[in-house]
Amino acid sequence: MSTVLALPSKGRLKEQSIEALQKAGFPIVQADGGRTYRGAVDGHPDIEVSFLSASEISRELAAGTVDVGITGEDLIRENLADPDSQVEIRVRLGFGHADVVVAVPDVWFDVDTMTDLDDVAAEFRQRHGRRLRIATKYWRLTQRFFSGMHGIQVYRIVESLGATEGAPAAGSADVIVDITSTGSTLKANHLKILSDGVILKSEAVLAVANRQRPKSDQGKLDALVKSVGNAI
Amino acid sequence: METRFSGTAGEIARFLERRATEPVNIPVLQPADPFLDMAGEDLRSRIFLTESETGDSLCLRPEFTIPVCRDHIAKNAQTPRRYGYLGEVFRQRREGGTGFLQAGIEDLGDPDLAAGDARSIADAHALLRHVLPHGQLQVVLGDQAVFDAVLEALGLPRGWQQKLARAFGTSDQLETALAELARPQNPAGQTGAVGKLATSGDQTSLERHIAGAMEQAGLPLTAGRSASEIAARMIEKQRLSETRLSADALEALRAFLAIRVPLKQASKTLMAFAADTGLDLGQRLDGFETRVREVGKHAGLVDDIVYDGAFGRALDYYTGLVFEIAVEGSERPLIGGGRYDRLLTMLGSDMDIPGVGFSVWLDRVDKLAGDA
Repeated sequence: MSTVLALPSKGRLKEQSIEALQKAGFPIVQADGGRTYRGAVDGHPDIEVSFLSASEISRELAAGTVDVGITGEDLIRENLADPDSQVEIRVRLGFGHADVVVAVPDVWFDVDTMTDLDDVAAEFRQRHGRRLRIATKYWRLTQRFFSGMHGIQVYRIVESLGATEGAPAAGSADVIVDITSTGSTLKANHLKILSDGVILKSEAVLAVANRQRPKSDQGKLDALVKSVGNAI
Repeated sequence: METRFSGTAGEIARFLERRATEPVNIPVLQPADPFLDMAGEDLRSRIFLTESETGDSLCLRPEFTIPVCRDHIAKNAQTPRRYGYLGEVFRQRREGGTGFLQAGIEDLGDPDLAAGDARSIADAHALLRHVLPHGQLQVVLGDQAVFDAVLEALGLPRGWQQKLARAFGTSDQLETALAELARPQNPAGQTGAVGKLATSGDQTSLERHIAGAMEQAGLPLTAGRSASEIAARMIEKQRLSETRLSADALEALRAFLAIRVPLKQASKTLMAFAADTGLDLGQRLDGFETRVREVGKHAGLVDDIVYDGAFGRALDYYTGLVFEIAVEGSERPLIGGGRYDRLLTMLGSDMDIPGVGFSVWLDRVDKLAGDA
């Protein structure tokens, strides 16, 4: 059996992943000069490399079609129903940093914390005839944070697959849950992060699918994980 | 009404008929928005959602109360009305089955709230008595209105009353809210020009300032929170920044939440509580006492009921009575019910229509009936 290693198929994340593996002694060779989504590791014929979207990597790890992969922790926590039992995050790679945050219009001068937002949400329907709307593509993380951690029940999620920061100004949502690395896009859109509104401090991680595999495969996998861990 | 089910379902269908309820047919596939709007997004992961070809969000009915009320509104039906239902509801679970049989009665539009409450408990009690003749029934009764009355009598700021009222029924959330209010409040963020205006309490200038900032940020001035709403809340926060929940108030609240007595003694206990804490609950307990009297008119009911000061349901359409019925030895309640006077207007009714009802988990009943 060969081990399937999944890497992000594009952008900075792809470059940095390949770089991290190179440093660990696992040089990635992409077939056909980078035009296909398959690859190999020089000197490790039993590792198959598959280039997928970062989101897909998290799902395929859970499904078990990928043994080990590099993707964002945010995607693992968002896409998987039970991330801690489905995959194991073995190495935090120190790149791809991004926080998943709750942000509100910065003119909401009275709202600094989740407790404030709870007050606002509770009265929203009475004042405006509808529930408070949150634009996000992270509905699972949002729901766990709002309902699970802060006991806020009454709000509606408006699914937003892009340009989420624009939703409050467009009037399609009141607040947002989104990813930010520098905060500059939020600022440009007149949004502020709540002081206790960081849902997750995410970065790129090397994650392994939790499942039984032959001893020799597991050994090779562990060796890969160890080398990557030592190299960063 | 669906009566193709086994177990006690047939018995219960006949029981509902005898109790003069009108059978109501609720389609299995329902628009999802009313459920998510009323119960919150938390429900999303527990219901079966799907989408119509035109993009509408649909779900398998997760319960009956909301669709029964929507059906009533859509038919523009006369009140009072007693609807009975029996059928499957669907919930996502990691383990075990996902379809559950539920039956229940929703009583809409009876203006006599105390009598309606008592009748709903009596219906639920009689239903279980009928299908489980040998079990010892235990009814737990709670009342949001009594808790609200205590908060009001304590003279807490309105915002605090609301915060505590909405945590009512969820003990750890209530604990968190109490702990938070017992700490000095934090006026963080109220600095700079806006902070100064908030401190001065000049609502008009503050509002103007905020409206200007909103315009600059390109926020729609009509779609969401208004400048006046933000200004008012800032001033309120400022005003409360140096106060905190007093030790006396905290102690009184804890004493109240610890009350758990047979319903027959509840009024006396509440009066003793009022006297001990020096709270003037006055007429605020009248509704409670009237309900106890109404319950007394149903034979063999009152002795099975316990009043629990802390028992409630953290949903904003529940307004007063909540109850659960279990059989001694059953892990989970077999019946849950309560009064939801705010639900029908929230679902779009032009008229205020009071409502009270309950539903019974037939699978749990059948399991006990089978064991007996």
